[in-house]
Amino acid sequence: MGEAIVITSGKGGVGKTTTSANLGTALALQGRKVCLVDTDIGLRNLDVILGLENRIIYDLVDVVEGRCKVHQALVKDKRFDELLFLLPAAQTSDKTAVTPQQMKELVDGLKQEFDFVLIDCPAGIEQGYKNAVAGADKAIVVTTPEISAVRDADRIIGLLEQEPNVEAPKLIINRIRPDMMDRGETLDVNEITTHLSIELLGIIPDDEHVIASSNKGEPIVMDPSSVASKAYRNIVRRVLGESVPLMTLDKQKPGFFAKLKAMFKK
Amino acid sequence: MATKQLVTMKGTKEGLVLKLDDQCGFADLLDALQSTKVVTQHDDDEHLDVQIHLGNRYCTHEKLKQLLQAVEETQHVTVSKIKSDVLTVEESNQRVLKHQSSTYIGIVRSGQVLKIEGDVVIIGDVNPNGRVEATGSIFVLGRVKGIVHAGKGGNREAVIVASWLEATHLMVDDVIEIMTNETTILSEQPEMECAYLHDNGHIVIDRLQNLRNIRPNLATFKGGS
Repeated sequence: MGEAIVITSGKGGVGKTTTSANLGTALALQGRKVCLVDTDIGLRNLDVILGLENRIIYDLVDVVEGRCKVHQALVKDKRFDELLFLLPAAQTSDKTAVTPQQMKELVDGLKQEFDFVLIDCPAGIEQGYKNAVAGADKAIVVTTPEISAVRDADRIIGLLEQEPNVEAPKLIINRIRPDMMDRGETLDVNEITTHLSIELLGIIPDDEHVIASSNKGEPIVMDPSSVASKAYRNIVRRVLGESVPLMTLDKQKPGFFAKLKAMFKK
Repeated sequence: MATKQLVTMKGTKEGLVLKLDDQCGFADLLDALQSTKVVTQHDDDEHLDVQIHLGNRYCTHEKLKQLLQAVEETQHVTVSKIKSDVLTVEESNQRVLKHQSSTYIGIVRSGQVLKIEGDVVIIGDVNPNGRVEATGSIFVLGRVKGIVHAGKGGNREAVIVASWLEATHLMVDDVIEIMTNETTILSEQPEMECAYLHDNGHIVIDRLQNLRNIRPNLATFKGGS
């Protein structure tokens, strides 16, 4: 029996969906059977980031309302042989179309078949959040080094700690700009972790390749050369129980050829 | 028939005491107070303070008023104090709550509100937008970065003590202090501090070592050397 992990943040735009897509893909790359569940009914995005938008036939609301079987609604990612599936959210209804009880039953069913069920939570703390958390065993809180995002993360952690079925949440700090952090213009990793005082699962540097690859419909973890990809892969290894040291954020020193090139440019 | 005297007068160190019988009916007692002049040997113009001891009789507010009226009208004295040996369960519970101290272990996070009767010791932080409300004092063995409200409901003696006092709002009873940039400068280092309601009506921040001079009555520890 697999485990269900909800990926949440409170604030919007911090990278919940991108994180869900990348963690799911990275887990599939590690050979685990993964189902991604998009609970952002009315504002679905996960399908777009995975590049599966045009393959959706049924959605989560169809399943819950009995218009189709779960298997009919699951969209298979052909890049991974029978390992990565997406249960897309409906775009035409809203968050009230599903109740927490229905979500729990749905996720419990999926857990029988998959190693990991990753639930992408919508922003906010209302119905959508309650639905997303209902079936989860574990929680990952995503934040960025901005005060507003950290405040919302704090609120969400407080709410998650009230949930009897969810283990203590773990933290991912996304979109870190090492240069700004060094100059003290954003909160640093230590400040955020001591403030929120939960376990840090990983940090992800800000990387423009993430946006580019999301636009192409290919999660960044499929490109092993990018830093963000490495960061996501590290996080997945930690989720699977390995102990991986936190990546250093030092700017890579320009190599010999880069220096030579710079000299000629002058 | 020799009836038992329902009202007796005694002179004590604190002054004259009227002892009222606690076994007879209330109406009889009232009758006795109105008919007989117990406090003799003094001029009616002279001002005299007496205390009333009710013994094991419980009187409601209304009954107390009737008693007072009877005593003051017939006896021509002023009642300075009424003493009773009984308490209702409710009053007793309230006294217990007022003096109890609870311990909270954990972080009071954004959006959470902790409401406590009596004092509270918080082992953890109070994060921004987290709120602690206590009818007594608040002691935080961590950082206060949120809102703390001590002495809620009238206890102006209550204090706020923290290892790190960086609250956004400090409140004692109904006085509120917003920690703007200017007021945070008042405490150069927010470490080991206490906040209390000063006689001037403002909330003042001081080193926590000074608390023993500011609120000596807070100490409940007895004995030791």
